[in-house]
Amino acid sequence: MEKKIGVYICSGCEIGKSIDIEKLSQIASEQNVTICKNHSSLCSIEGFDLISSDIANENIDRVIIAACSPRLKTEVFDFPENVLLDRANIREQVAWSMEPNEEDTQMAAEDCLRMSIAKVANTEIPNPFIADNISSDILVVGGGITGITAAIDGAKAGYKVHIIEKEEKLGGWLNKLHKQIPYAAPYSELINPEIEDKIKELEKLDNIQIHTSTTIKEISGQPGHFEVQLLNGKEEKVIVGSIVTATGWQAYDANKLSYLGYGNPKVLTNVEFEEFVKNNPGKEFPKNILFIQCAGSRDKGHLPYCSAFCCATSLKQAKYIRDLSPESNVFVVYKDIRTLGLYEEFYKEIQKDDQIFFTKGEIEKVIPEKNNISVQVKDTLIGEDISLSVDMLVLATGMIPNGTEDLNLNYRLGKGLPELKYNFSDSHFICFPYETRRTGIYAAGSLREPMNIASSKSDASGAMLKAIQTIQATKRGEAVHPRSGDKSYPDLFLDRCTDCKRCTEECPFGSYDENEKGTPLPNPNRCRRCGICLGSCPERVINFADYSINSISAMIKSVEVPDEFEEKPRILVFVCENDAYPAMDMAAQKGLKYSPFVRVIPVRCLGSINKVWISDALSKGYDGILQIGCKPGDDYQCHFIHGSELTETRGENIQETLETMMLEPERIKTEFVEITDYDKIPKIINDYVEDIELIGPNPFKEL
Amino acid sequence: MINIQPDIKFKKQLKEVSKSSLNECMQCGTCSVVCSLAPEEKPFPRKEMIWAGWGMKDKLIGNTDIWLCHQCGDCSTYCPRGVKPADVFSAVREISYQHYAKPKFLGKILNNPKWLPIAILIPIIIISTILYLAGTLQIPEGPVNYSKFFPHVWLNSSFTFLSFLTIALGIAGLRNFWKDLRLQYPDFKPSGSFIKHLFSIRKEIILHSNFSKCSNKKSRKIAHLLVFYGFILLLFVTAFAIYAAIVHKYPLAITNPFKILGNVAAMMLLIGLGIMIMNRIFDRKDFGNSTYADWLFLISMFLLTISGVVVQAARFLDWGIAYHLYFFHLICVWFIIIYLPYTKFGHLLYRVVAMVFAASAGRK
Repeated sequence: MEKKIGVYICSGCEIGKSIDIEKLSQIASEQNVTICKNHSSLCSIEGFDLISSDIANENIDRVIIAACSPRLKTEVFDFPENVLLDRANIREQVAWSMEPNEEDTQMAAEDCLRMSIAKVANTEIPNPFIADNISSDILVVGGGITGITAAIDGAKAGYKVHIIEKEEKLGGWLNKLHKQIPYAAPYSELINPEIEDKIKELEKLDNIQIHTSTTIKEISGQPGHFEVQLLNGKEEKVIVGSIVTATGWQAYDANKLSYLGYGNPKVLTNVEFEEFVKNNPGKEFPKNILFIQCAGSRDKGHLPYCSAFCCATSLKQAKYIRDLSPESNVFVVYKDIRTLGLYEEFYKEIQKDDQIFFTKGEIEKVIPEKNNISVQVKDTLIGEDISLSVDMLVLATGMIPNGTEDLNLNYRLGKGLPELKYNFSDSHFICFPYETRRTGIYAAGSLREPMNIASSKSDASGAMLKAIQTIQATKRGEAVHPRSGDKSYPDLFLDRCTDCKRCTEECPFGSYDENEKGTPLPNPNRCRRCGICLGSCPERVINFADYSINSISAMIKSVEVPDEFEEKPRILVFVCENDAYPAMDMAAQKGLKYSPFVRVIPVRCLGSINKVWISDALSKGYDGILQIGCKPGDDYQCHFIHGSELTETRGENIQETLETMMLEPERIKTEFVEITDYDKIPKIINDYVEDIELIGPNPFKEL
Repeated sequence: MINIQPDIKFKKQLKEVSKSSLNECMQCGTCSVVCSLAPEEKPFPRKEMIWAGWGMKDKLIGNTDIWLCHQCGDCSTYCPRGVKPADVFSAVREISYQHYAKPKFLGKILNNPKWLPIAILIPIIIISTILYLAGTLQIPEGPVNYSKFFPHVWLNSSFTFLSFLTIALGIAGLRNFWKDLRLQYPDFKPSGSFIKHLFSIRKEIILHSNFSKCSNKKSRKIAHLLVFYGFILLLFVTAFAIYAAIVHKYPLAITNPFKILGNVAAMMLLIGLGIMIMNRIFDRKDFGNSTYADWLFLISMFLLTISGVVVQAARFLDWGIAYHLYFFHLICVWFIIIYLPYTKFGHLLYRVVAMVFAASAGRK
């Protein structure tokens, strides 16, 4: 079917004062466009009606709105699903960021429109991939407080939940507790463990199936249809749509803490002390007891991190002592008391006790003596080194995440979720809690980051919501975070595939399985639609309906590159849609100006840039190519984990291309920005334009 | 390295006297920053606050810094946790009087309202005994003449003896105090005599210059100066009166320059004490918690002065109750002079000694 393109140019928001709209309209008429109209305010009701009536009466199915940034007014420009919309950003990227009424500015606006027309002419409306075997059931791995909370929430939301626990009994760590820290004011009394009630609540729910003494043999499949092989004496198969992992934590091995006296019967860990109290109800405590906080935590030789629960736990345990033994003195030596949030109130409540003594300090030496233990502490608040003679020593040890190898995922990237710093199975980026790199499988609780019971419970709810979201998105054939709602998916033309495995290896989410030959076997519902596979493919056989090798190539080629270089260089800028593009918008919104010689193409991720686009651009005569994306490295901000890293590794390949074309290496440059770096955008662009002006024109320009 | 055994009893006493929660101190150090008297090295009151929380009695009693504080209250005003360091310091001082008291029971009965009747009964019994021994334990006939009631020889000799006894007991307490101060500064090597260092702090004492450093509540300095010099003048006038009673003619006429001087001094005391009492009643926020010891001292000083003026009037106007008033005045004298080391008036001794120690230890 022939595509009928309608171009609508807005002259509002100062666009008309900066760009000659009539002249710009002529560009449209030179191209294969059905309708081209101008309006002083397209986002008004009349503007919207103007476009809508053309869609209805003239059968326009490709709408180009040349106006403000596509990130804005999405709620206004909401057209039927059979219409493909593209937004030519002539406001932020031309009118507001370049000098008004200059020839170069006009040329930039015209190229912006040309690229948009070329794009829609080469783009199809995505037809979502909707599997026919989607299950709405959810698997919860781990029967501790996190898993139980997640399961209850899921069941209450109307989903069938399978909860599996490798022990005989649900409850996990909470089964070991004597008392719990209160959740609400006045924080003056400890509460009884809540786990029995939670388990009862869980057991009462009809749509929960509890699998205790159960492990996982294998999980295969994709969101919407994971096949889970359970082992419980016998094998059992369940099908679920998504998974919440809450495998929890284990205590740090106190045998490594002999320098703090561990091994002496008077020295207990916080876990052992809790058991001691639970198993010896009513037993009086000795006269002097010392708690050493951060025992083997926040310590480079042991656990370098804070385990988040130990401070409040020691306060609770100090209260066990004081509630039962009014003669006992409790000492607490800490690095910092970290009772986050409202637990500060619990700390203040404990502080009121006249026989609980706190000081910051470093443990110098623990000397076991005949009747007691002498502990020497330096760097105290007392003003000098102190020694304490105590009858019992409690080491507040931290937590180690259990990891997720037990999931036994049948993914080519490994059996568990990837582990990040300190072996926690975390989200890959701080602003996406619960996200993991395995779509539809969410981590919750202390395996994700150190947390206490209250945080674990809210974490469980969050992860369960994500699991539900995945099922619903999968049913609609849409991507989940961060391209939520994207209906496109990678379409592989396998006839031309050379089984080079680059796509299977580079996909950050393990979307591709492969057969023995190495041919990729796509799992579209695992896909986050980043396009890294598209960027990786040397044969260019991977495309999305609305983001393809051809559509971007057409955009690159649509720009009019002037033959004369003097004062008219052309720089192609690939801008990552996630952070760099909004940063450019913000720069313009803040009134910052940059060179009018740049032509911007938004990309899903720097990792989605295919080499062919580089050679297309250089052949076309662009003088330089600038790629702007998110920061790679240990604290990466790439929304698709290693997209920007890949531009660096692939860069070597590209430099070879430059060499064969006898071009300078500076013709391609990559810059990394954060979303807040909008103020750096003009300098990044202008500096690069200057560099290119020094190097001189691309020799292919005149060919 | 110090081995810590918290003194829970002391901590509870400190909390009770100071009305401070102690434990809520988070050692932020705001108090030491705002204090205009704290030395640069190891400034107070931050460190004292954690010692207080940990019940470290030995560190707090026999500590110079407790006495270098002049109670301006800036620390309490700015404390973000409301733990009132100024009141804690004041409480430590109050406990110090009891701690160093010799004999101990006097320290106890003068710092607890429940023993007040005993504290009053002691001077009544002793003065009555002296009067009995003098054979004058009755209201004399004729125009008012106090020497008929309490013969000068008996009065002067007994009260002078008792004052010297008190000074001796006070010095015994101060010796222990000095020992404790030495313990806290093990590296301290005394150089020069006590007198030399006392001379070096003359300006602080005579001009109350440390008081001037307290940025707020200027009326405190004026009130203290009035009371301080009023009291010294009265001591001087009393000494002259004793001298006059022995070699000259006594009582003095109303126009006698010494008599006039005495009355001026009494006015100074009354004004100074009036300001202090008003401040404590009406400005509790700035002047902190007023303890029993604060009030006992202020009120007995006030009653001493007022009763002195009234006794004088009774003599000139020949009032019938003159001798009863005189007896009451003598009990007030007892509370101020004979009880000096055990009441808040003891700060006269302990503060000066601590300041001398600080001067000789170079603690500025």
